[in-house]
Amino acid sequence: MLSDAERERYSRQIRLFAEEGQERLKKKIVFIAGAGGLGSVISLYMAASGFGRIRIADCDSVDLSNLNRQILHGSLDLGRSKAQSALETLSDINPEGEIEALQEKISAENINALVQGCDMIMDAMDNFPARYLLNHAALERRIPLFHGAISGFQGQATTILPGRTACLRCIFPRAPPAQESPALGSTCGVIGSIQVNEAIKFALGRGELLKNRLLLWDGLSSTLEEVSCEKSMSCMECGSI
Amino acid sequence: MQIYMPDGSRVELAAKDRLIEEILKELKINSEEVIVTLNGRIVAEEETAGGSDELKIFRIVHGG
Repeated sequence: MLSDAERERYSRQIRLFAEEGQERLKKKIVFIAGAGGLGSVISLYMAASGFGRIRIADCDSVDLSNLNRQILHGSLDLGRSKAQSALETLSDINPEGEIEALQEKISAENINALVQGCDMIMDAMDNFPARYLLNHAALERRIPLFHGAISGFQGQATTILPGRTACLRCIFPRAPPAQESPALGSTCGVIGSIQVNEAIKFALGRGELLKNRLLLWDGLSSTLEEVSCEKSMSCMECGSI
Repeated sequence: MQIYMPDGSRVELAAKDRLIEEILKELKINSEEVIVTLNGRIVAEEETAGGSDELKIFRIVHGG
């Protein structure tokens, strides 16, 4: 049941998907892996749109070189933990939601605890080994993983529904070589927004998800290309599901 | 066979069938850094392409 304040806050969304839709968002518990460039966009829009409970994890502190794109954090947060900064920003954006911010590095040891009780996982990581942990956790729990990644003007996104679509390993069987990517806030904005849009549609049960479709954004040509992918029966992660 | 490179340029290769792995080697592309689509569908390096197939090579991005 929405309060009067929530009805007012979400009035423009309620026009779109009625109070019933808004209540669906309120019931969702979300895990956001990372509070960097993608994590900033994802968490801000998820908090603002009324996802009921957000758990966000990041092990880093805010550095000056983050501030071109990581809009969860500001100049006054330099040197502070991103988790603490995220907690304060998101609580301010929407005090109606419940925010849990954890200063933790995502690992094989803590991933189960981090995603415990969550309905969906948002990929805002900056490396594939960590993404494979998210993929594994999503498959084990049969919850969706909303994948996104960026580099410079380029980005990609897809939605993984365990057992029903290609998983991250089907699409990317091997991790690309580790390297520090150039990063642009506007690319994070495009890809993070697509991920949140997918999560909203999933929560509402409306629209067409990015199932077995990888979207590739090229900001230099302003083109969005779609390529199809499929679940691999020989996939080491999801082949048996 | 038409090949679209990660930078958007196009390359025409002889139409004979061969492994995508070999095509990437010939183009001096590290297969770990890219995904390849064959007529719009992501394929593994072990698959073959030829004839009038259209290959597109995309660099995988991994930042966040």
